[in-house]
Amino acid sequence: MRNRATTPLSKPKVRQSWSKYNLFNLQRMRNPPTATRTFFQQKWTAKSMARAYHGEQVRESQWARMFSRRIRSVVPMQAANLAADDGSNMSAGRGSGLDSDINLSAPLTPFTQMTFAPLERRLDVAIFRSMFASSARQARQFVVHGAVTVNGKKMRYPGYLLNPGDLFQVEPDRVMYATGAPKDKKERREGRVARKQAAEQPEPEAAKEEGAAEEGAEKEAESEEQSKEEEKINPRETLKKLLEQAKTIMDDSKDVLAAKRKQELRGFQKAVKRVLSRGDSSTVLKDNLESQFSDLITALKAKRQEKKGSKKVKRSRSSEEDSAAATTSDAQPGEALTEAFRQAAENPDDVDTSELSNEEFDVLKRALVQMRDNPIDNTKPYATPWRPRDYMGAFAHIPRYLEVNHSICAAVYLRHPVARPGYSEVPTPFSQAVGTAAFAWYLRRR
Amino acid sequence: MPPRLQGQLATNPLLPYISSSSTTTSSSLSNLPTQYSSQLISCSSRRTNRSFSSAPSSQTKHRNEMFAWLNTGGSRLKDHKPGRTNYLWPKTEAGLESMNRDLKSSHPFPLNKDYISQPILSEELRNEIHTRVVFKKQSIRSVSVDLGVDMRRVGAVVRLVTMEKRMKQQGKSLALPYARAVHEMVPTTPLYYDVSEHRQHPHESINDLPVHRLTDPQIFYPVSESRQFNRVDAGRVFSAAPALERREAAENATNPAEVISRITQNPSRIERVGKGENEQEVLQPADARIPHPHLIQYERLAQSRSTEPKKNREAYKQAIMQEETAEKERKRLAKERQEQQLTKVQPDSSRFEFRFKDVVVSKETTGPDGRGHKAPGRRYGVPSYERKKGQVKIPTQVQV
Amino acid sequence: MVVRIRLARFGNKHQPFYNIVVAQARTARNSKPLEVIGTYNPVPQRPTNLSEEEARSARPYKDVALDRSRAKYWLGVGAQPSDSVWRLLSLAGLSESKEKAPK
Repeated sequence: MRNRATTPLSKPKVRQSWSKYNLFNLQRMRNPPTATRTFFQQKWTAKSMARAYHGEQVRESQWARMFSRRIRSVVPMQAANLAADDGSNMSAGRGSGLDSDINLSAPLTPFTQMTFAPLERRLDVAIFRSMFASSARQARQFVVHGAVTVNGKKMRYPGYLLNPGDLFQVEPDRVMYATGAPKDKKERREGRVARKQAAEQPEPEAAKEEGAAEEGAEKEAESEEQSKEEEKINPRETLKKLLEQAKTIMDDSKDVLAAKRKQELRGFQKAVKRVLSRGDSSTVLKDNLESQFSDLITALKAKRQEKKGSKKVKRSRSSEEDSAAATTSDAQPGEALTEAFRQAAENPDDVDTSELSNEEFDVLKRALVQMRDNPIDNTKPYATPWRPRDYMGAFAHIPRYLEVNHSICAAVYLRHPVARPGYSEVPTPFSQAVGTAAFAWYLRRR
Repeated sequence: MPPRLQGQLATNPLLPYISSSSTTTSSSLSNLPTQYSSQLISCSSRRTNRSFSSAPSSQTKHRNEMFAWLNTGGSRLKDHKPGRTNYLWPKTEAGLESMNRDLKSSHPFPLNKDYISQPILSEELRNEIHTRVVFKKQSIRSVSVDLGVDMRRVGAVVRLVTMEKRMKQQGKSLALPYARAVHEMVPTTPLYYDVSEHRQHPHESINDLPVHRLTDPQIFYPVSESRQFNRVDAGRVFSAAPALERREAAENATNPAEVISRITQNPSRIERVGKGENEQEVLQPADARIPHPHLIQYERLAQSRSTEPKKNREAYKQAIMQEETAEKERKRLAKERQEQQLTKVQPDSSRFEFRFKDVVVSKETTGPDGRGHKAPGRRYGVPSYERKKGQVKIPTQVQV
Repeated sequence: MVVRIRLARFGNKHQPFYNIVVAQARTARNSKPLEVIGTYNPVPQRPTNLSEEEARSARPYKDVALDRSRAKYWLGVGAQPSDSVWRLLSLAGLSESKEKAPK
């Protein structure tokens, strides 16, 4: 299918897309003039504007078949009102000219804004609405390329009409790619190099692996010894360094260049790894990263509790707890860091209080979490660490007929979109004037 | 290549390539902020580097305008603001940006006042729903009322969170940074510390009454002054059913709660009117058609004896329990009936199971012309539209 | 002429679906039969809503709809099932299986 969904700047059309071109077009869009135009012209313009946004990937004849003049709507009911009156009060005395005191101030229901509701049932549109793709076209591509499942089964038809209760899921990696910032030139190059290396390695790997492993083990052992010595000298120095690095990472200033930030991140990662590798089980570092991480976090938590305890209760008790914690975590890989924390905690006189404030531990913890969840990975097709693409926030909204879980990139189509007083559930950038004219066009009374 | 001239000058076919960068800057930039001009200058300086290129310049008037806007008015949209929405601001008729804070924060489309970016469930609220349903074994109905979340949404949340936990267990990669970013961009309903707060500020309205097809036409229906014309009667008028007998109506009026529970617990026994193809159920009052009819009885009790809230709550709990047991019983019976009709055979010679369903072929089901839709089989004499335009060929449903 | 109980193919391309019909033996396959007594869907369906253990042991199934009393009646008056219908009827317990049946 040829992609006609361009976002030109002259003769602008608003599309289902998050691009900055589209944002600019959306920003300068005005209601079409009506004063000097015939009704047919008004309807034609409205229809063409609306169809450029709503399902431009659907052929006109197909959409004309989907169109329904019956629009779903609901009225929110108040149980208290229903209990107070069985309806007879509303009709009582109407014949004798009694004016009812019905509350007519309820907002009107924008029915004609629901003209394109049947299109929201389509799988590709639903994926775009749940923010899994940056445009409806991209959502369509995900479906066609087999990255989408409906109720656990692969669904390759973008025109599949979701039924209420259907659960659809997109591969998280695709979603991260669609919504993440793109790689810049340097990152792309890094990715290429990494891929090339990966492609070259496999053959000699089998032979080299053992040797490499041995070497690695030796090196690690050496570094372990060294680091142990270092650690003996000053455990809180390492802690301090870590903390500083974490701070720089979590510092949210936008001025810092991406490359520099990445350098910092990498430094922090290395530092943490160094600390971790001091533990006994450093040989299985890779496999254990997850557990090491959880150990780190628990250590941090324990530390914070201790801190609180030591503030409130006696020092002795806290140190007891400390030693208990230390004994339990003896065999664990994150021991070195725990040790560092413990020592730092035991002698608060040695360490600056500012260094150990709760916020700082929070910062360190957050940095660690971020390091795990959002790592630097050149093989990914998006810029790492992941960050949302530009101008994504301006398009971020999720309609109520979908229930979306973003962390697994799955959503449930709860029900068909409905209109209710003062509110229509179909996301459309056009005003009611356009919606009404487009609806009138498809009523086929022209 | 020198930049194109803009505005009126550009309409002359001879003029566009006249090299006068100074005129461009002066003509189009007099009313623009400094950032724009500096950018343009940089553009033009870049363009001088490719003065021998014959390709048309990529910087058209519209592109210039766009980047000018992106650098000034649109610059705040580039990055999201955690915890706040960051949408385009609607403009007033004078073309200035509206100062209405509500419009700014909740309307993603500046022209469309009828679409609001409504909050989604926060992570904590979602987990709370999951724990309540899965671990505390609370019914979906009661969780929905307590937390102000639609029943269908509660079901969906349970499904999704269960799936998330399973994926975590299996060690599959999740899109965590993405999820965090989205939750920062979109308004969310928090989990209130005091859970009763959810009743005051529900996530969404849980008692939505779908507008029925039969209520579309306006009907002129004269009623005597002395008669109590209530919602039940209105429903009968809309579905063209004869009015209730006086005696029956009076009986119903004495115990409205029982009438409603009779309808909701036995939906198959609702009265039907019309003949043949036109047969349809009588339109029931709103009390029976909303998702939480028991709430009405609760309110009724609360209004009649507001001094005994404890008793009311107990009665309410009992009503819910009753409703749930009735629902369970109904489901069980339906399943049993289905199983009775079905004979499963697992022959040794085949790797498939054969499910035999009993059907009835008779004059009643086939109809006088043999084409009745209740009889089994694709009908004879009904043409196949398989190759006709507009036939749906892709799957229409996916079984769970 | 012989009356047979046989299958008439409906459904779409690559998507067979059969009516179980009672018809004169010499008439065309999809011509109007004497009676339609059921349907047969040969495309195996996967059972749904099962726990993981159940799903492992569960067989895919094929749906058959049949009016037993009419089938019995037609067999009683001498209608001859085709091979495939014979198999279905024997599974339903209405006729003996072909292998065991006396020649």
